[in-house]
Amino acid sequence: IQDDHKLSASELEEKYGTSIDKGLSSARAAEILARDGPNALSPPKATPEIVKFLKQLVGGFSILLWIGAVFSWISFGIQFAQGAESPFDNLYLGVVLALVVILTGVFAYYQEAKSTNIMASFSKMIPQQALVIRDAEKKELPADQLVVGDIVEIKGGDRIPADIRLIFTQGCKVDNSSLTGESEPQSRSCEFTHDNPLETKNIAFYSTTCVEGTATGIVINTGDRTIIGRIASLASGVGNEKTPIAIEIEHFVYLVAGVAITVGVVFFIISISLRYKILDSIIFLIGIIVANVPEGLLATVTVSLSLTAKRMAKKNCLVKNLEAVETLGSTSIICSDKTGTLTQNRMTVAHLWFDNQIYSADTSEDQTTQPFDQSSSTWTELSKIVTLCNRAEFRPGQENLPIMKRVVVGDASETALLKFAEVILGDVMNIRARNKKVAEIPFNSTNKFQLSIHETDDPNDKRFLLVMKGAPERILERCSTIMINGKEEALDSEKAEAFQTAYMELGGMGERVLGFCHLYLPESEFPDSYPFDTDSTNFPTSNLCFVGLLSMIDPPRSTVPDAVSKCRSAGIKVIMVTGDHPITAKAIAKSVGIISATSETVEDIAKRLNVPVEQVNRREATAAVVNGMELKDMSLEQLDEILCNHSEIVFARTSPQQKLIIVEGCQRQGAVVAVTGDGVNDSPALKKADIGIAMGIAGSDAAKNAADMVLLDDNFASIVTGVEEGRLIFDNLKKTIAYTLTKNIAELCPFLIYIIASIPMPIGTITILFIDLGTDIIPSVALAYEKAESDIMNRRPRNKRKDRLVNEQLAVYSYLQIGIIQSVGAFITYFTVYAEQGFLPSTLLGVRVNWESNAINDFEDSYGQQWTKYQRLYLQWTGYTAFFVSITIQQVADLIIRKTRRNSIFQQGLFRNKVIWVGIFSQIGIALILSYGLGHVTALNFTPLRFQYWFVAVPFAILIWVYDEVRKLLIRRHPGSWWDKNMYY
Amino acid sequence: GLILLFYLVFYGFLAALFTFTMWVMLQTLSSDIPKYRDRISSPGLMISPKPDTALEFYFNKSDPQSYAEYVSTLRKFLEAYDDSKQSQNINCTPGRIFDQNDVAVKKACRFNLSELGQCSGKEDKTFGYSKGAPCVLVKVNRIIGLKPEGEPRIQCTSKEEGTVEMSYFPADGFIDLMYFPYYGKNLHAHYLQPLVAVQLAINSNSTKEEIAIECKILGSPNLKNEDDRDKFLGRIAFKVQMTE
Repeated sequence: IQDDHKLSASELEEKYGTSIDKGLSSARAAEILARDGPNALSPPKATPEIVKFLKQLVGGFSILLWIGAVFSWISFGIQFAQGAESPFDNLYLGVVLALVVILTGVFAYYQEAKSTNIMASFSKMIPQQALVIRDAEKKELPADQLVVGDIVEIKGGDRIPADIRLIFTQGCKVDNSSLTGESEPQSRSCEFTHDNPLETKNIAFYSTTCVEGTATGIVINTGDRTIIGRIASLASGVGNEKTPIAIEIEHFVYLVAGVAITVGVVFFIISISLRYKILDSIIFLIGIIVANVPEGLLATVTVSLSLTAKRMAKKNCLVKNLEAVETLGSTSIICSDKTGTLTQNRMTVAHLWFDNQIYSADTSEDQTTQPFDQSSSTWTELSKIVTLCNRAEFRPGQENLPIMKRVVVGDASETALLKFAEVILGDVMNIRARNKKVAEIPFNSTNKFQLSIHETDDPNDKRFLLVMKGAPERILERCSTIMINGKEEALDSEKAEAFQTAYMELGGMGERVLGFCHLYLPESEFPDSYPFDTDSTNFPTSNLCFVGLLSMIDPPRSTVPDAVSKCRSAGIKVIMVTGDHPITAKAIAKSVGIISATSETVEDIAKRLNVPVEQVNRREATAAVVNGMELKDMSLEQLDEILCNHSEIVFARTSPQQKLIIVEGCQRQGAVVAVTGDGVNDSPALKKADIGIAMGIAGSDAAKNAADMVLLDDNFASIVTGVEEGRLIFDNLKKTIAYTLTKNIAELCPFLIYIIASIPMPIGTITILFIDLGTDIIPSVALAYEKAESDIMNRRPRNKRKDRLVNEQLAVYSYLQIGIIQSVGAFITYFTVYAEQGFLPSTLLGVRVNWESNAINDFEDSYGQQWTKYQRLYLQWTGYTAFFVSITIQQVADLIIRKTRRNSIFQQGLFRNKVIWVGIFSQIGIALILSYGLGHVTALNFTPLRFQYWFVAVPFAILIWVYDEVRKLLIRRHPGSWWDKNMYY
Repeated sequence: GLILLFYLVFYGFLAALFTFTMWVMLQTLSSDIPKYRDRISSPGLMISPKPDTALEFYFNKSDPQSYAEYVSTLRKFLEAYDDSKQSQNINCTPGRIFDQNDVAVKKACRFNLSELGQCSGKEDKTFGYSKGAPCVLVKVNRIIGLKPEGEPRIQCTSKEEGTVEMSYFPADGFIDLMYFPYYGKNLHAHYLQPLVAVQLAINSNSTKEEIAIECKILGSPNLKNEDDRDKFLGRIAFKVQMTE
C-alpha cells in the first residue's frame, strides 16, 4: 500500500514526473504504458482448448476403451502375422472403439464449449473512455491507455478509470459498493483524512462510480495493481473445488471400471486355465470390457445436465459450468445478498402515518393502486405535499410503461415518493403544473429539510401553499399544530408522544422515515405579487402544521418470502449477508422469513426479559444478527458456534472480505454453500463457494467470471427454482444410470457363458456397441424429463458423504436382479433361434472350437444336416440379432420401471412424460432398422430376424415390470424394513 | 444371511423359469425335422480325407508314412459304405428322386463301393497315393428335404493346366438323384450320402509344385456354387503337393 494519499500535490507531481496543469507528455505516457502494460484487469488464465479436449479423451471410461482398442490392435497384429483368415475384424473393432472415445470426447467438449460461450458474451465490455490531460490538452482516451501519472477528470456518472489520488473536487461523491459493499455514496475531497488508503477521502478507486460532482486526480495505480485488481487476483488464487456431481460421477466410474477390470481379469485367468490361447483370452477380455463399460452414459449425463441447464436458463438461472446444475440441488446453505437479490433494489413507500394511525402501503413490484384508506382529508393535504415538495421527474417518453418501471431523474427517496403519488393521484407532472412553484429551498445536510412554495390550483383560493419535508424530528420542531382528520389541532405533548411512538415504530422496521408539514400563507400578508426570497427567507419556516409521516424501504421482492419458506422446508439454511444497517437487515430478514416470526435473537430475549444481553442463554435464541464489527473480532471457533447454534442468521454491516470468512465457516460445517454476489470483491467468496451465483443485472464482470452461475433477474426466487431443478436432475441421473447399467449384465453374461460353456458366441462386440450407443441413448436422455416422484423440496439436501449417485443398492439391484432377468430372457431367445434352426441346446455345449473352425464345412446339427462355416456364421449373426432384440425389448420394460424409484408407475402416470415414449419408439425403431434395413450389411453382423423372435423376451419384460412393481409396493408398505434397506436405491 | 436366502430363492425361481421356458420351447419342436431350414437352402461341398491344417495335401509317394493318415481316414470313412453295413439298404431306381414322404419307415438307398472304381480302396489299398494319383472323395452336405434338379455332377479343375489329370468315379462325377431327399438323422438312420471320387493323376513333371484344385457341383439349377461369401457352397478348393 502506498502513501500517495499523504503526499501533497507538488510532491505527487514530482513522484510521478507529471504536471497537474499539463499532464504527461504523450511520449512519456507511451514509455510508461510499455513498462506497466495496459490499464485493464488481466483475465483469468484460461486452459488451452487442446488441453480441454485431451482431458475429454482420457476422462471417465475412455482409458478402459483405449485399452480395449489397443488390445484389439495387438490381436490384429498377432493374427495378421500368423496369416489368419479374417484378422481385420479386430482391426475394425479397435478403430470403432477409438472412434467411440473420440466422438464422445468431441461431444463432451462441444457441450462444455457451448456453455462457456454463453459466458463469453458477458465479458464483452464496452470500451470505457477517460478524459485525460496530456501534452497540456484534454483528450478522450480509451481507459486502458491510462498510465500512472496521468491527470484525469471525472464527473458524475463516470466509472473511475484507475486508482486516483484526488487533487481537486467539487461536491464529489463516489459509490464504493463494489469495493466495500456499502451502498451509501461517500463524499470525496482532496484532504488526507485517514492513514489507511482504503478509508481516506482523497483516493477514488478503480471500477467504483462517481455519483455526483466533479473531480480531478492523478492516476496512481493501473490495471492489476489497483486495489480491485489485487482483490481479483486474490480470487484466482482461491482454488476451484470439485463439484459434487463430478465426485459422484468419478465414484461411479471407479465402481464400473472396478467391476469391468475385476471380471475381465478373473475371466482372463479362467480362460487361460481352461487352455484357451492367450490371443483368444485377450479377445474375450476386450469383449468383457466393452460389455461392462456403458459407452453412451457419460454423453447422456452431459446431455441431461445441459437440458436442465437450458430449463434453468429459461427460469433465469444461467449455468456456466454444467456440473453446477446439480451442485445447486445439493446446496444446504445459501448466503444471499440483500439489496437487489432479496429486495427490489428500489426505495418504495411502505408505511404512512397520519390521523394518529399507521397505514401500510402496497410494496409489490407491479402495484397499480394503493389499498389504504384515502378518505381522510388529511391524506388529501399530505398527498399534496408529497406531490409538490419533490424535485424528481419522470424521463419523458415513458407514458406507456407501467409506473413502477419508469426511469426517474432524482434520488431514491424522491423517486419513491414520485411513483407513490403517481400511482394514487395520476399525472403528477400535471398537478405540479397546475400548482406553480414560486420558490424552493432544496435539501441540504445542515437544515435537513426541503421546502417549496406553490400557487394553489383552486382558482378561488389565492393563498400560497408552503410545503416542507425532511427528517421527522426536524420537521416536528418547526410545527405548532398537527392535522387530525383534516382539522388543525394544537400540537400538545400527548400528540407529540404519539408522533414519537409512530416514528420509533417505523424506524424500528428499518425504514427511512420522512416528515411532512405545510402552511397556507395568509393572502393578506402574502399577496399575489409577493417576492419570495429563499436567501433571506422572507416567509415563515416555523409554526407550521404537521401533516404526516411517510416511511420508505427497499421492499422485498414479492416472490422471495415464498422462496425462503421453500428453502426452509427443503432443509436449506438461508443466511443474509449485507453491508446494510442491522436494523434494516433484520427488518427485511423478518419480512421475507429468513428470521421467522416466532424466533428471537439474543437481544430480543434480553429485551423481553429485561436482563442484560450477557445473561441470556445463547442456545435459546434461534436467530442471530451479527454485526460486521463483531465478526471482525471473532475467532473461527466463535463463528462456527454461531453458524452451528443459530438456524436463522443475518450478517449486517459486513465487508465483502468477511463474506469469504462466512463461506469458509459454512463449509467447515460440511455444508454445500451457494453464495450470491455482484461486486468485484465478492469474487473470492464466489470462487470459494461450492456454487457462486453472480447477479446478471447488478453483477460486475469479475463476479460473473468467478461465479458458476448467473442469475439473469437478480432474483433470489430464481435460485430456489434452480435448487429444485438440481435436485430433480440428481434423482433422474440415478434413474438414467440404473437404466444403463442393467443391460451391461445382459451384455456381459454371453461372454462369460461363451467362455465357460463353449457355446457359439451369443452376441458380438459390435452389436453391444449398437445397444450402448444406439438403442439406449434416447431412452436414457428421456429419463431426464421425468417429473419428481414426490415434493423434492420437502426433503433435506442430500448428504454428500452418504447419499451417493450410484449406491450399492442401485448397482446390486440393476446388476444382480434386473440384469440377470434380462440375461435369462435373452438367452431363451438365443436358444430358441438355434433350436428352431436345427441346433438343440444340448448340441451347442462345448462346440466352440469346431464351430469357429474355418476348415470344418460339414458341421453336423442335431438333425444330421451339415453346415458350412459361413452358414454357421450367418446363423450366429441371427443369434446376435435375436439377443440384441431381446435386450432391446426388455430395456423397454427397464425404461418404464426406472421412471420411479418408490411410487408405482401408475401413480407416476405412464404417459405423463411423453419423451419416454419417444425413447421407446426410437429404441424399437432403431432395432427394426438395424435388423431389417441393415440386415444385409455384413460388417454390422445383423440379419433380418423372424418376426416372432421379437416376442420371445416379452414375458420376461413383463416379469421385470411386475417384479419391480412388487418391489416398490413392498418398499412403500414397509418403510425401514429389510426390504426397504436393500431394495431402495 | 437373509440376503443369501433371498438370492437363493430369486435365482432358484429364475432357474426354474428358464428350465420351464426351455422345456416348453423344446416341446414345440419336432424330433424329426427342424422347424426352419432357410439358413441351409443349398448344400456345401466337403472332401475326405480332410487334412488337419488347411485343405492342403502334402505327401511323398514313395514314403507311405507321409500319406498313412489320409489312407486311414479314407478307410474309416468308407467303412460305413461296406456291403456288410448296407444289408438293410435297398436298391433304388437310378436317376429318379426317391420320394418317401408317405412312408413311415424311410429306406436308405444302397451305394455300392464298387462305383468308386479305383478309389474304392479294394484294388489299391493306398487309394492311389503310392502311385502318385491320389483319390479324394467329394461329398455333398446333407440337408433335409433337399431335392436337386437336373443332373448334378462334380467337376474339378486345376488352376495350372496340364499339371494333373482327373478321373471321376462314378463316371463323369454324376451324383444320382435317387439318394435324395434326406429325411434326417432320426427317420433316415441308415442314409448314406452319395460320393464322387476324384483321382488326381499328377503329371510327373509337376511334382513338387503346389497344385490348386477346385471342385464344383454342376448341372443342377437349384444347387448354388458361386456364392461370394460362402466359399464352400457347392464348391471346394484344396491344394495338393506331391514329392517323390
